[in-house]
Amino acid sequence: MRSFWPFMPILAATYLFLAWRRLLAYLRYFQQEGYEPLRFLRWVSVRSLNDPAFWLSIGAAFLFTVAPRTALVVFVAGAVFLGVAQPDPRSTGKIPLRLTWRATRVLAVATVFSAALWVFLTRGYVDRDLQAPLMASAWMFVLLPLVLIAANASLVPYERAVQRRYETDARRRIADVQPFVVGITGSYGKSSTKAMLGHLLQFHAPTLAASGSINTLMGVTRHIRDDLVFGHKFMVVEMGAFKRGSIRRLCQLTPPSAGVITAVGDMHLERFGSLDEIVRAKSELAEAVPAGGLLVVNADSPGALRIARSFGDRKVLLYGERSPEDLATRVEHIVFSRQGTTFTLRTPDGTYRCFTPLLGRPIILNLAGAFTLAAAVGMDPDVIVAAMRTLKPVANRLEVIEERGVTWIRDAYNSNQFGFRAALEVAASLPVARRFLATPGVIELGSDQFDVNRALSKEAAAVCDTTLVVSDTNRAAFEAGHREAGKEAHLVAVPNRTEAFRWLRETIKDGDAVILENDLPDLYEKSAGVFWKAS
Amino acid sequence: MRRTVAVMFGGRSLEHDVSVVSGLQILHAVDPERFAPMPIYIDQSLRWWVGDELWHKESFKGGGPDRAHATEVALSPGFGTSMLAPVGFSRPISVDVFIPVLHGTFGEDGSIQGQLELGGCAYVGSGVLASAVGMNKRMTKIVASHAAVPIVPWLSCERSVLDRGHDWMRDYPAKVEASFGWPVIVKPCNLGSSAGVTTANDADEMVAGILKVFEYDVEALIEPFIRNRLEINVAVAGLDVPVASVTEMPVTSQASILSFSEKYKREGRKSIGSSEGMAGALRVLDPSDLPAEMRASAQRHATTVFAALGCEGISRIDFLVDADRGTLYFNEINTLPGSLAFYLWSAAPHYWTITELLARLIDRAERLRAMKRGLQRKPPAELSLL
Repeated sequence: MRSFWPFMPILAATYLFLAWRRLLAYLRYFQQEGYEPLRFLRWVSVRSLNDPAFWLSIGAAFLFTVAPRTALVVFVAGAVFLGVAQPDPRSTGKIPLRLTWRATRVLAVATVFSAALWVFLTRGYVDRDLQAPLMASAWMFVLLPLVLIAANASLVPYERAVQRRYETDARRRIADVQPFVVGITGSYGKSSTKAMLGHLLQFHAPTLAASGSINTLMGVTRHIRDDLVFGHKFMVVEMGAFKRGSIRRLCQLTPPSAGVITAVGDMHLERFGSLDEIVRAKSELAEAVPAGGLLVVNADSPGALRIARSFGDRKVLLYGERSPEDLATRVEHIVFSRQGTTFTLRTPDGTYRCFTPLLGRPIILNLAGAFTLAAAVGMDPDVIVAAMRTLKPVANRLEVIEERGVTWIRDAYNSNQFGFRAALEVAASLPVARRFLATPGVIELGSDQFDVNRALSKEAAAVCDTTLVVSDTNRAAFEAGHREAGKEAHLVAVPNRTEAFRWLRETIKDGDAVILENDLPDLYEKSAGVFWKAS
Repeated sequence: MRRTVAVMFGGRSLEHDVSVVSGLQILHAVDPERFAPMPIYIDQSLRWWVGDELWHKESFKGGGPDRAHATEVALSPGFGTSMLAPVGFSRPISVDVFIPVLHGTFGEDGSIQGQLELGGCAYVGSGVLASAVGMNKRMTKIVASHAAVPIVPWLSCERSVLDRGHDWMRDYPAKVEASFGWPVIVKPCNLGSSAGVTTANDADEMVAGILKVFEYDVEALIEPFIRNRLEINVAVAGLDVPVASVTEMPVTSQASILSFSEKYKREGRKSIGSSEGMAGALRVLDPSDLPAEMRASAQRHATTVFAALGCEGISRIDFLVDADRGTLYFNEINTLPGSLAFYLWSAAPHYWTITELLARLIDRAERLRAMKRGLQRKPPAELSLL
């Protein structure tokens, strides 16, 4: 049996190749979960036990006792095949793995850990000859997600030190440039309000507003270091939070001169635990705005209004549509068309008839918030109204596109019930032949998730001719909603997005409209293709 | 000995991708028997790269070429060295002639030409002044009208109006009504592509159009919209005397301006080979229904504008025809047109291939450099103070 030992380097290389491929695959999901171990583990569950690499190693180890040479060949050939067959997470899936410096560091350390652990386990089996590395491989393929977590944990002190250095640098830049910082927070509408406010303010004075959804301490730090220069008068910062303290830390980095609170609701309820906790987290922005500083608040949102009432020494300006409060800006007469939205803004100083190519009631409300703040910092309201015409829809955020006679309402980036309803409202107002909806529903609503999705399903049934519920995540709730509406036959369940598009392609005709609502991360689709190419 | 000809493409403008397509066309068209062509890819951060991978269009998909397989270089400091110094440890590369194929800002506007001038390099195409003036539509109109070439009237609106309240939102529509009336075209003064161009039918649309321009540029031009309009393009090659090409007429789907996507993404009807970019747009070469007199006028005006700006290399001069009045107007000049407008030289009377044309332009670039080097640089006695 000792004669097999020359095979050891081949086995080691084979194991390392496949382990590296698997680590790469897991890293995508670890990254999507923000490197949070518990959330990642919840996704992993027993997934690694289903990894064919585990079963290949076990099988080869047993085969080794009867046909050693065959076992080795099977293991090497099988592992190479599995490694090659695995889709590359850097270029596949809805959110591909971004090999940032951090991800590269985690991957490198995890690879070293997995090699070291494999050697350790192999030595533990040393009496059983070459069966040992095969059993060690089996163990390792199960443990790889934990190895990734351990690698990340070992890098924490280093990551913290790097981040502190960057933060200090960014803080110094802010202190030197001294822009008027507008912080924006809320459960929804932050990104769109930031984009719109940044767009409007650029016509008033040089303004820095990050593109996309940069709203974390690390993201904002990097943004400041890369893009903030002398001459910038305004900086618009989106402040996201998954727990208390996040916004406070962001406010320490970019002390806000003014704040906008878009809406406070049950988004990410699962992570916060309760609505009160969300209100407390979002209040951190209002706390950071100095006394007498501007606080622009959506009065239609009871949670946001609660925050406004707690900070009476700030200069609070309310905006909204339905609120009975005394509003600084009131939205009226909203009318949707394929070209955009026409609406009126009523303020104590005048009434403005507005048009924007954007669509959706929440978007118009956010625009009213941006208008309120821009006007309050001295921008001419007439110029603001003119600039609203130049806003461009953000891709996949209630974007209406005509393609070969079919109207596509793309709202894949929305992930909350209000945006969902807004898309239904826009769809209902457009003159089309039939309306289709493809959606996996909304998530992260804790115990309310079923009820919210059931209600959305019922409302969708009233507007749409057919609803495609994608994946199993909210399927039962959608079935219940359609059942309540008496339209069970109008609901079609599909396993994934690919299937949904296939169904749509075969069904839709000229004159139809399709709403693509919410697009869950790969985490929520079963056939996301971790080990194999997605079907 | 084959001379090294470096084709520069990419850059930081909106037209980065167009430049890559054009640059690769030119790179492959340089005569390999006479010259040793090499690509220089300039990325969005204006870093320069060389390497074999840069010959292939596929390398530029999905975030650009793999930097690990390319060498970063910089133009060697020191007048007249004409050398690419690697940022790492490789050997310097000597370049005889540069061909900038960089459209738009930082490429077509004299910036890169200024850098090459500072290095005393030979390069194909217009110099700093012609490039800078050609990039600015207002300045080009002034030069063209001074040379008695008919132009479309215009109003100019600078971004600084935003610092002076909202009166401009009433003043400019009033000016439009007092001068040429509605509808109007609002466009950026300094961009080479159709980005930021809108047609406005009333004051609200025009103000929005001006603001849209200010997202791209610091100056907006407002011109009357000619309802029944045709476009005619003519290329001019700066040989010993400027030579005009045949005329072309881009075909648009509607009587609207040629949009960015139409310019750069559509399949060609008379395009040459499997080219893309401007060479791939829908067009009619030498349209038979264009009156001979108008064709001759376009060619004459094209060479006049080319000469008045002091252009070199190949420029494409675009005209508008008011079909109702039968009037021809100079519209704009592209001192670095897409694909160097090579498709315009393949018809009678020239029948020049781009390879032949490039060889002549490379020779001329070297002659111009030698001529400039020969200019007296020794300060006269009264300036020798030290």
